[in-house]
Amino acid sequence: MSPKALLSLIVLGGVLLLASQGLYVVKETERAIKLKFGEVVEADLQPGLHWKVPFIEVVKRFDARVMTLDTNPSRFLTAGKKYVIVDAFAKWRIKDVRAYYKATSGSRLEATNLLAALLNKGLRDGIAGRTLHEVVSGERDALMTILTAQLNEQTQVELGIEVLDMRVKAIDLPEDLSRSVYNRMAAERNREAREHRSQGQELSEGIQADADRQKVVLEAEAYREAEQTRGEGDAEAARIYASAYNKDPEFYAFTRSLKAYTESFRQNDVLLLEPSSDFFRYLKDAQGKQ
Amino acid sequence: MAWNEPGGKGNPNDPWGNNNRGGNNNRGNQPPDLDEALKQLMDKLNGLFGGGKRNNNSNGGSTGGSGGFIGILVVVLGIVLVFNSVYTLDEQERGVVMRLGKYQETVNPGLHFKLPLLDQVIAVNTTAVRTLEIRERMLTEDENIVEVELNAQYRVADPVSFALRIEQPERALQVAAQSALRHEVGSAIMDQVLTAGRAELADRIQIRLQDYLGRYQTGMVLTNVNIKDARPPEQVRAAFDDVQVAKLDKERIINEAEAYANAVVPEARGRAQRQLEEARAYKERLIARAEGEAERFNKLYAEYRRAPQVTRERLYIESVSEVYTNASKVLVDVKGGNNMMYLPLDKLMQNMPAAPGSTGLTSADFSRLTDQVLNELRTRQGATQTNTVRREGR
Repeated sequence: MSPKALLSLIVLGGVLLLASQGLYVVKETERAIKLKFGEVVEADLQPGLHWKVPFIEVVKRFDARVMTLDTNPSRFLTAGKKYVIVDAFAKWRIKDVRAYYKATSGSRLEATNLLAALLNKGLRDGIAGRTLHEVVSGERDALMTILTAQLNEQTQVELGIEVLDMRVKAIDLPEDLSRSVYNRMAAERNREAREHRSQGQELSEGIQADADRQKVVLEAEAYREAEQTRGEGDAEAARIYASAYNKDPEFYAFTRSLKAYTESFRQNDVLLLEPSSDFFRYLKDAQGKQ
Repeated sequence: MAWNEPGGKGNPNDPWGNNNRGGNNNRGNQPPDLDEALKQLMDKLNGLFGGGKRNNNSNGGSTGGSGGFIGILVVVLGIVLVFNSVYTLDEQERGVVMRLGKYQETVNPGLHFKLPLLDQVIAVNTTAVRTLEIRERMLTEDENIVEVELNAQYRVADPVSFALRIEQPERALQVAAQSALRHEVGSAIMDQVLTAGRAELADRIQIRLQDYLGRYQTGMVLTNVNIKDARPPEQVRAAFDDVQVAKLDKERIINEAEAYANAVVPEARGRAQRQLEEARAYKERLIARAEGEAERFNKLYAEYRRAPQVTRERLYIESVSEVYTNASKVLVDVKGGNNMMYLPLDKLMQNMPAAPGSTGLTSADFSRLTDQVLNELRTRQGATQTNTVRREGR
């Protein structure tokens, strides 16, 4: 191989070396800063291919995506002097790469710690001024908006961090308070259960008593009507009898008596008779003379 | 360059969270491997060219040796490049293309080409519906504690945000979902959470959570949120269950009472009906009998008017004869009172079967009765001689 070719190879190697040291890529998920002997010469490098002076300039890359800061649950005191255990989280991302690098030397751990301390303080102050009820339900959104704004005021300038949102993940009562809540809930349920049972009893008594009343009334009314009907029957019968028998009361008495005689005497009744009666008139005398 | 290769301060987690989407990961990881391989190849080439003149290697030391070797290398390199520059996307996927680290475009399913070494493609599944389930115990507005199980379904709508804008999107979703769930439950009273208000609660959670997801640039869209289960915590479940039992008890007691009422009232109605019908029957019977008897009397009376004496006599004799025919008779023709008569009435009575009308009279009663009758007879014989003593059997 000729020296010329050798030279070109050396040049090629040098170019490759230079390129491998000088060219760098910032990914879409990253922001970067360029340092020259420790001094920031270019902040906020956008994604893409960039050039730096080899060996002199250094590039630091940071994750520019939205990140989650998840705090540990800790005790807070509300305005009602009740302890609550609050678990909060914040969504943040790097806004100002230069400030971020200055405040944290690019350490995410440190950034997280700083942010967590600020968040904790803000949360403590915010919760201390509100009752449990307000924290749990009513003012939750408002509180979070205020805290997020407060947090941003500090972090954007001091840490180069933008807090997109902070939220309370969980607000829980400590164990002893939870127990008293459970007891209260159980007591309320017992009251409710008793109420249901008593209402059942009440309605049941009402229904049964109503049924009993209906029964008594029905029977009484039936008795009244029955007696009326019987009375009508009696009256009608009496009228019919009277209208017939009034034609000759004496004859009625006669026939009715005869009927009574035949009905009253039965077999084996013993009659002690005297032959002088009217019936035996002809027993001793064909002329019927006594 | 791999988008998820550990960067300066970046963390090694990839946004897919774990390895369950290995297919995509592999595709995403391919370029760095080749990258490195090529670099190594280059190094080797440099080495070869460095000492290339002296040792003609395996090609056999022929005159065109190094040229042939380079030719083969170029062909191999070409093949590798072509393989490395063609990729396909599944129907479910969108590809996020980055050129030299910078976002270039989003491509649709199909066969695509990319610039080897310069381009990197992340395939994101944008149609599959994924599920998140969380179960939490939390405070309600009325300071009760409930346990809620939430089921959220979502898919990736914006692959660029999902892949590039947020770290660990699925964990972000989890945290946001917890917060949204607790927030909405914390703004509702327990009864709403446990019973009627569930669907509405789920809607509110969905709206809130979607808002969070948008703010955090997750690129995810909720398709469905529902509350799978909401119940009181273990510690008080017995008391809650007892309320259900009490409700059932109430219904049972009421049903029993209604059953009683349903039995008693119709029975009474039935009895009343019977009483009325009996009364009517009595009435009808009485009237019918009266009419019958009256008519009979009228008929007889009409004949009697025509021949009173004869009819009267006939009726009398017939009736009395009927009476006498049926009964036992003792004809006493006592005159003067000189002869004593002995009537063994008790014997006569003993001959009778126990007729219903004569029960309750013992033989002692009869002997007493007999004595009375005899005494009477004797005294009357003294006074008037004609007397009829009749004893009725009733």
